Amino acid sequence: MKKNLQWKIILVIAVIALSVFLAYPPGTKIQYGLDLQGGMHLVLQVVTDDAINTETDQEIMRLQERMKKNDISYSSITKSDDRIGRFTLQGFDATKEREVRDLLDEYFREWDNSVTGSNATLTMEASAVTYFRDQAVRQSIETIRNRVDELGLSEIPIQRQGGPTGERIIVELPGVEDPDRVKNILKTTAKLEWRLVHGGPAPDQETLLLEYGGKVPLEMEILPGDPRRNLGGNHYLVSRVSTVSGKDLRDARRSSDEWNNPAVSFRLSPEAGRRFYKFTSDNLQKPLCVILDKKIINVATIEDRISDTGIIRGFSDPNIVDDLTIALRAGALPATIKYLEERTIGPSLGADSIRKGLTSIIIALILIFVFMVFYYRVAGINAVSALILNILILAGALAYFKAHLTLPGIAGIILTIGMAVDANVLVFERIREELNQGKSVLSAISSGFSRAFKTILDANVTTIIAAIFLFQFGTGPIRGFAITLIIGISASMFTAVFVSRLIFDVSLSKKKQKATLSI
Amino acid sequence: MKFKFIALGISAVIIAIGLINISTGKGLNTGVDFAGGTLVQIRFKSVFPIEELRQSLGEAGVGASKIQEVEKGEREYIIRTMLPEDAQDQELESHILMGNMVVDALKTQEDQSATESGLKDLNVIERDNLRTLIAASFPEKADTSADAILNLRQSAELKGIIESFDQLEQAGIDAEVLDTLKDKTFLGNMTIKRRETVGPQVGKELREKATLATVWALIGMLIYIGIRFKFAYGVAAIFTLAHDILVTIGIFSLTNREINLPVIAAIMTIVGYSLNDTIVIFDRVRDNLKTLRKLDFEGLLDASINQTLSRTVITSGTTFLTVITLFIFGGEVINDFAFTMIIGVVTGTYSSIYMSCSLLTFWKKIFKPKKGLGK
Repeated sequence: MKKNLQWKIILVIAVIALSVFLAYPPGTKIQYGLDLQGGMHLVLQVVTDDAINTETDQEIMRLQERMKKNDISYSSITKSDDRIGRFTLQGFDATKEREVRDLLDEYFREWDNSVTGSNATLTMEASAVTYFRDQAVRQSIETIRNRVDELGLSEIPIQRQGGPTGERIIVELPGVEDPDRVKNILKTTAKLEWRLVHGGPAPDQETLLLEYGGKVPLEMEILPGDPRRNLGGNHYLVSRVSTVSGKDLRDARRSSDEWNNPAVSFRLSPEAGRRFYKFTSDNLQKPLCVILDKKIINVATIEDRISDTGIIRGFSDPNIVDDLTIALRAGALPATIKYLEERTIGPSLGADSIRKGLTSIIIALILIFVFMVFYYRVAGINAVSALILNILILAGALAYFKAHLTLPGIAGIILTIGMAVDANVLVFERIREELNQGKSVLSAISSGFSRAFKTILDANVTTIIAAIFLFQFGTGPIRGFAITLIIGISASMFTAVFVSRLIFDVSLSKKKQKATLSI
Repeated sequence: MKFKFIALGISAVIIAIGLINISTGKGLNTGVDFAGGTLVQIRFKSVFPIEELRQSLGEAGVGASKIQEVEKGEREYIIRTMLPEDAQDQELESHILMGNMVVDALKTQEDQSATESGLKDLNVIERDNLRTLIAASFPEKADTSADAILNLRQSAELKGIIESFDQLEQAGIDAEVLDTLKDKTFLGNMTIKRRETVGPQVGKELREKATLATVWALIGMLIYIGIRFKFAYGVAAIFTLAHDILVTIGIFSLTNREINLPVIAAIMTIVGYSLNDTIVIFDRVRDNLKTLRKLDFEGLLDASINQTLSRTVITSGTTFLTVITLFIFGGEVINDFAFTMIIGVVTGTYSSIYMSCSLLTFWKKIFKPKKGLGK
């Protein structure tokens, strides 16, 4: 019995030591959630349909080239409006059906094709769709991480929400002063392209197409001027294919043009530089435009051959230039990003919540302490010791799991304080009953604990079931609450049953025969 | 058991009033978490009467916003923008725009011109930028001064907004640093302490998730109790819990408080808590079925309730003490949560004592099981 007690005491001391080691000093060991430290919580949705559409566009261009190479004429290739990842090749020579089939089978393996007469429909395979969507989300996370790094914030948690097929990204940025700016930087697709201009500017599409009989030629498209720059309201007819694009960029910096207006200077990869040189040589004196996110930001005549360096003009606001360079250096997003949720908490509110949370915890502890000692006398001290140990374990576990302490988390701690004494109360009430029935102190304690244990287990397991579902379905702060509740209640079973019993045993073992118990 | 019909009657009336109020009256006041929208919490440098605030917002075209004063003193408000009824399906962008309109409407002319002339707002600036700004002139004092200023700004007295440069002086900021700050910064008229925008899509999902979490938790508990006790006990417990949830939601509707994510968490906690009480009583019933064989079932239930009564009262008392503490000292962000807990602790205790066992007797009368529910 004595030896047994010693081991138990050692175990409890070890638990205390471990908890203190893990959680001390709490200021650095326990991480605060954004609602306590201040910052911005963003939920973004990657519109992965964009990535599928981009891929489809590229495949359409590839098919055009293939058809040209094999010398098969056709009337048009159109992208399906109602189903994503599908396009139709129309009006090819029906006698060449065999040839078209072979071509599609050989070069478009990721596309299911159905050929009927002179038409062929290609649909992207389900596995490919999944792949491109997944890639789009991964690339977006990578790009956003780069941009956040460029902003000078490092080690920012950027998570994908919803498992491997999830299309949402959660970004948590601590201490942000200008949320709007950060949001814009993260969201800018930053897809930069240089394309040849064939017509424009014109106020509307009809005027542009007069020359072409009212129909957009296959290799061209109409794009609007960027309203934020001085090209607003204008439309241009431009090549569908870009000469060089953001992918070819090696560097982008803020600079200024010869009139000292803000501009972005860039450097291309050597390979793209050679391409650009040949292109500009072939198209001297023709207008070239810079397109950012499908809006034309600048149009200029090619005066000279350009190889791998140049500048983009057409900005009025230096801040836009700054943000654009950040986005360009970090790379383009493969798809549009939509914001679904945005929460910004100022640091003063967080500091306020911490202060109020701590005050509440301390007051709650004092109230419970007074109540327990008043009602259960010496045994009450026992319960309060178990309670304090419970909070220690909770702090240690929070630090160990690197769980973020949130405001609801603090509420969870306070609630744990209230509920953790329950186990003690159950035990003490049982002991009192047993004593009233005339049992001796030792046997009353022993049967009180063993009889109450079943009740405590059932009662706590059900609460934990509620907390687990809360954790499963909850988001952000709510999870913090569920975690503290789960840890707190689990720990209370250890502290109120094991530790509290131990305190009784130790205090009773000192006296050989104890006739009374202060409970 | 004598009071079972009275108790059930009272509960039925409260639930009925709540449900009627939800369906025909004020309805449920769902917060931005569930309804979508923008919430902005702003503190002003000086008193900004609520009428003026309403007027400014009205002039900016966001007069339909809900305004709630934080603490007394007409300096801090929570403003929630409302989209017109017919625009419920709008994207998040429009919610953000509404929020921007609110903020822009309240910015003073002086603040705007100060920002445009390149001055930094000391009531908005974050630590790194402030440090850099001071370091430009006094590199060795940058860290300590920046920390001191931010600590002052976040202190319990100032609550996020510095009112005058004198306050900085009193807080012991170096005179030289202070002079530089007077040159390069200004004290803006307001600071945004919190800003939350939830798109309608997320709001809808959060609603679904909250409902799912509650339903699955109830099912999980039903199964656990079914295994540990008898199915009848599980059903009685679940009805008791449904009662607690309905009463709480009903009272929320009657008091027109906002239902947000923390409130759902609180409701889930009540579920766990009330079940805790119920299980302790059922556990006694289970024990007593073995020992007190002479009593009829109702007598046995009464005995069980009475034997556990002191425990129920004490635990409810301690929990009640803690949630009252949270309600009084926890601050406005956690206030709704604490309020829910208070209602929950009261109804949870009441329902465990008066309802759970009554439901068992009804089960016995209706289904007449041979085992598990005594004589």
